[in-house]
Amino acid sequence: MTRSGLPRLTFWRLVLVAILLAGFYATVIRFVKGLGASTALSDQFPWGLWIGFDVMCGVALAAGGFTISAVVYIFNIERFKPIIRPTILTAFLGYSLVIVALFFDLGKPYNIWHPIIMWNPRSVMFEVGWCVTLYTTVLALEFSPVVFERLKLERPLKIVKSLTIPLVIMGVILSTLHQSSLGSLFLIVPSKLHPLWYSPLLPLFFFISAIALGCAMTILESFLSLRAFRKSLEPHLLAALGKVAAVVLGLYLGLKLYDLASRGALARAFEPAYEGRMFLAEILLGAIAPMVMLAIPRIRKDQLGLFVSALMIVMGFIMNRLNVGITGIDRSSGVNYFPSLTEVSVTLMIVAIGFVIFSLAVKYLRVFEHEEKRFIVPELPAAAALNRPLKSAGALVMALGACFVAGAMALAYSGVRLRTAAASVAEAVEDAPGRAGASFAPPAELVIARSAASPGWVRFDHAAHINPERVDCTVCHSGQFSMLGAKLDTGGRVSTENSRKMDNCGACHNGTTVFGIRDRRDCAACHLTE
Amino acid sequence: METRSQVKKAILFDTTLCIGCGACYEACKEKNSLPRTHNNFLRDTLSADTYTVVNRRAGRFVRRMCMHCDSPTCVSVCPVGALEKTAAGPVLYDESKCMGCRYCMQACPFNVPAYEWDEPIPRIRKCTLCADRIAEGLPTACASVCPTGATKFGDRAGLIAEARQRIHDNPGRYSDHIYGIEEVGGTSVLLLSDVPFDSLGYRMDLMKAPLPDLTWQALEKIPGVVTVGGALMSGIYWITRRRAKVRRALSEQAKDIESAGPGESDS
Repeated sequence: MTRSGLPRLTFWRLVLVAILLAGFYATVIRFVKGLGASTALSDQFPWGLWIGFDVMCGVALAAGGFTISAVVYIFNIERFKPIIRPTILTAFLGYSLVIVALFFDLGKPYNIWHPIIMWNPRSVMFEVGWCVTLYTTVLALEFSPVVFERLKLERPLKIVKSLTIPLVIMGVILSTLHQSSLGSLFLIVPSKLHPLWYSPLLPLFFFISAIALGCAMTILESFLSLRAFRKSLEPHLLAALGKVAAVVLGLYLGLKLYDLASRGALARAFEPAYEGRMFLAEILLGAIAPMVMLAIPRIRKDQLGLFVSALMIVMGFIMNRLNVGITGIDRSSGVNYFPSLTEVSVTLMIVAIGFVIFSLAVKYLRVFEHEEKRFIVPELPAAAALNRPLKSAGALVMALGACFVAGAMALAYSGVRLRTAAASVAEAVEDAPGRAGASFAPPAELVIARSAASPGWVRFDHAAHINPERVDCTVCHSGQFSMLGAKLDTGGRVSTENSRKMDNCGACHNGTTVFGIRDRRDCAACHLTE
Repeated sequence: METRSQVKKAILFDTTLCIGCGACYEACKEKNSLPRTHNNFLRDTLSADTYTVVNRRAGRFVRRMCMHCDSPTCVSVCPVGALEKTAAGPVLYDESKCMGCRYCMQACPFNVPAYEWDEPIPRIRKCTLCADRIAEGLPTACASVCPTGATKFGDRAGLIAEARQRIHDNPGRYSDHIYGIEEVGGTSVLLLSDVPFDSLGYRMDLMKAPLPDLTWQALEKIPGVVTVGGALMSGIYWITRRRAKVRRALSEQAKDIESAGPGESDS
């Protein structure tokens, strides 16, 4: 064990502190000033970055947990056992942080528990709520042995370990439901979500992509763990995971193509429109590129190759979730949503907190069970060198990866440009005078009761006060005169006193717009003196 | 009174009769005690402070408001049942249940529910079809003040019959469609027009079936996924464990044979 004493101020720690400070400030803004002041959300665009990224991606990135635990415990493929704990931890953190994000996004976060007692089983959101609650609990239990070990609590450890299999089965079912239900959320907006993403198969797409994503996240995590904590897994295990990811991606891509073609939406991908470009970028970066790269054994078994491919899968699927949640809704919403600084700061803070907790857990708990290995194989390059002649693969990875990433970025960039170009084409509401006289029947004559300072009752003739060329009730009825209660008794609101204060009749009868109430000697023009 | 409110009520809005006087707009504001939001009501939009608008599109005046769907999307998506479709037609909101997920806003095919974005404790706001007035046997505020009959309140079935009659009696005047009979499974606001509804901002590409059917197709599979998934995984677990056991036993047997030497494998 090496102890460095006080934490040194490194570049990344400085970044972390900056993110946390910005996040804290954004949190204060969010809860003091409300959603309107802190986000770019609007009635036209009620779900933004916090749902599209924090929730949808947070859950998807946690998919490693159920994928790997099913492989190890259900399919009994024991060689993946060493990566169980880190994936469960990631999943648990992912879900916990989704709940944190919901506290920011919900208008009334203190009612977050309502779905537990107020049921609406016909709501996908209800299912999502229950899945989050139950699966977070299952994940906490699945991870608890690591904590119990540390605290040397034998009895609870034994109890939880005896529950392993039921917990794993529950976890897999809940994840299946939850991953797919995030897609089901959008089944109800066929007229709002762009046809490139709207599909009756959305739940299936979300589920399949979550499995590929689970593999990719596991690969990435173990590489990052290696860099940060000098703890890692056997490279051949990761290569095997890469292979699984490639197969799943192939399935995903095939299904996607079939779906688009059968709905006749395939051509929309090649339209010169924002959505088409974003779709192509997502598919290229998130599915085609990593599938091709992982299908090449030389790249798959190469450290850099595997890392880059996994990173592409993760980025591609983040793009996919954002496209479903934001890009695809953009056009039908009629507004151009772009997250506010507060939304971005909160999101960064949540991600940063995830990293911090993960590293703390790795430091103080036995997350990586085969710790001894780090002394035998201190760094992965050494291990990778045993596998492959690194140089040739590295060049190939660089060339392929750079091509794919550059392609995706170019597509996305051209998409954003198309979007700004299209932004000005908003539907104009005309403001011309109306067609007059379509069987217009002016309300009957009114008699207004005499008030204290009034010379007499007022007989009000609606017809005399209306411009038949352009009937506009709001001139008088916007606050001045009640429409609904204005039979005879106006509750004392209409009075000579008020009229003199330029209120009521005086608002127009002011001597400028029309004759004023004091202009005439002849009160009988309006007042009935009898 | 009780029976009267059980008959499904509706509003019929005929854009050929509307002169854009703004009476409905102001009556709605007054009824719901909403503040002024725009100095030209014709340019106002739906918001937490405006439950109905009259806009000018394609040379016509057209109202927008909650459509009070027969199978409301908002009601089906609300995870806590804060929205409810009442027998008389109004879709009503209960702020004490709401947790503010805004799925109703995201899901509404007409983009109606509005949010109090600037409130510390925000609520969903929208037209209530004057449910309290209906319960008292009164028409909605907007219909009660309309000077041309463009907005008419009544029993839904009766209004549909009347709309058909108007189309029949005035050949060539209307486009032959009553918006709201079939759209998303039917709505409690019906529209008549002489220009295509698309040009008025009313989408014609909406499904005829209720939208909640779409999610139900996914949700109804949950019990199946749970039981089949659970059984399947338990089965696979049993098989793989047994296989491992057999393998272990076999390898032990092989070891025994090896150590015991050939010729004694019968026992």
